[in-house]
Amino acid sequence: MNKRKRLVLTGLIMASFLFVVPVFGASSEPPASILIDSLSYLYNGVNFDHEQHLEVTNDCSVCHHHCFGNGAENEQCAKCHANSNGTSSVACGDCHIQKPFTVQHIREMEANPKRYHLDMVGLKAAYHLRCLNCHVEMDAPTGCVDCHERTDTGNQFYHSGDYAPIGGGAGKVHE
Amino acid sequence: MRRISRRGFFKVTAAGSSALAISSTKKAFGMKEFKGYPDSMGVLVDLTRCIGCRTCEAACNKEHGLPEPEIPFDDFSVFDQVFHDGKRKRRTSDSAYTVVNRYDDTSSGAPVYRKIQCNHCNEPACLTSCFVNAYTKTKEGAVIYNPDVCVGCRMCMVACPFRIPAYSYHSALHPQIIKCNFCYDTRLKKGKPPACVEACPQEALTFGHRKTLIKIAHERIRSDPDKYVDHVYGETEVGGTSWMYLSSVPFDQVGFDTSLQHHPILDNTKSFLGFVPMVLGIWPAMFMGFHLLSTRGKEETEKKVSENK
Ligand code: SF4
Ligand code: SF4
Repeated sequence: MNKRKRLVLTGLIMASFLFVVPVFGASSEPPASILIDSLSYLYNGVNFDHEQHLEVTNDCSVCHHHCFGNGAENEQCAKCHANSNGTSSVACGDCHIQKPFTVQHIREMEANPKRYHLDMVGLKAAYHLRCLNCHVEMDAPTGCVDCHERTDTGNQFYHSGDYAPIGGGAGKVHE
Repeated sequence: MRRISRRGFFKVTAAGSSALAISSTKKAFGMKEFKGYPDSMGVLVDLTRCIGCRTCEAACNKEHGLPEPEIPFDDFSVFDQVFHDGKRKRRTSDSAYTVVNRYDDTSSGAPVYRKIQCNHCNEPACLTSCFVNAYTKTKEGAVIYNPDVCVGCRMCMVACPFRIPAYSYHSALHPQIIKCNFCYDTRLKKGKPPACVEACPQEALTFGHRKTLIKIAHERIRSDPDKYVDHVYGETEVGGTSWMYLSSVPFDQVGFDTSLQHHPILDNTKSFLGFVPMVLGIWPAMFMGFHLLSTRGKEETEKKVSENK
């Protein structure tokens, strides 16, 4: 491998680290905003105002559980994690995986009979359950498009917008 | 779809009914409860997580290329639809394998949503009631249906304790029962989760081994006893179902039939099934007889006609 190539490669590897490593470590400053778009498909990504939400909650553990090592807000979690150390990474997607129902993941989970977190939700549900439950509680917006815009694919999927049925489709409600 | 000839139909019926006669006697004598396949998959539906977004309905529609809906899937006015003088909410139909209904929680005032589809029983009543064996319970847990052998008698529709199978009236020649198939062909048998499960934003639908889901369900109740009714609907109802439910409001208030027995429907039909093969054994033979007589007569006339030529 010549020098140039090696340089490019090292550059690439370093660059990839920049993206793979969470936007901030547990010790650094929290980000002001986060673009949540790894799952966008039917809806566009969410430009999440992290700073504002931090102001409202004033406690990282409301969303980040015990990951900062300062206890856990949820009493269930606190039973084991009241005094546990912070984790090396705190991004939602580091624990909540994108595809929780693959055969491989189900097998992995079941292979360890002692595993307590058998019932850990995937990333999409982690976002929605956390965000929506709180929004309901706080009387914040709860409509789908209040947080993320529907994509054209989404409109097709829901038979909505430009794809809305024109005057009664074939579907009849069964009596 | 393969069309079945009249003669073919009688053959199948005769074979089916004799098979039924044998199996039902076996069941009646060596009666052992079938607890479902050991590696059966299932889905745990947690009503406390469902927000009534109808994404599951849209996903199912897309997955199976079902007819365009009359009303968009993001239109929530469907929750106001009622039938039979307001006594009944939406049900699965020949164009919808699954529907979500809204109920009002009288204590909290907040709406509760409930998704319905086939529950994929361990011992399906549709299967045992079908005399041409159109239904199969696969080892993955799905209850699937074969339209090629179905004769359109609709016994399964009557037998199903959850009133799920719908009938397609689109073609009189090709009778067809329509119901959720657990995405068996497109997903389940390839080890993939059903389309509705994958699409649900709330993971109100958890896919996994039925055994594990039962553990998860009880753990959810144990860790939050104030939130949940202490019951996993489908764990034992009608002998157990692959799709099971958790709820924060009493199940009978959100459309569940809580009067169902906790052993398979089959037990009830057993004595009935002992009688059915008799009818079914005699019928086909009788009609086959008629058929043979009439065709022989015809053949003979034809022969005579040709001889006379
Ligand atoms: S997609 Fe999930 S949350 Fe939405 S209606 Fe269906 S089950 Fe409920
Ligand atoms: S399992 Fe498949 S067929 Fe059944 S309701 Fe879900 S998407 Fe439809």
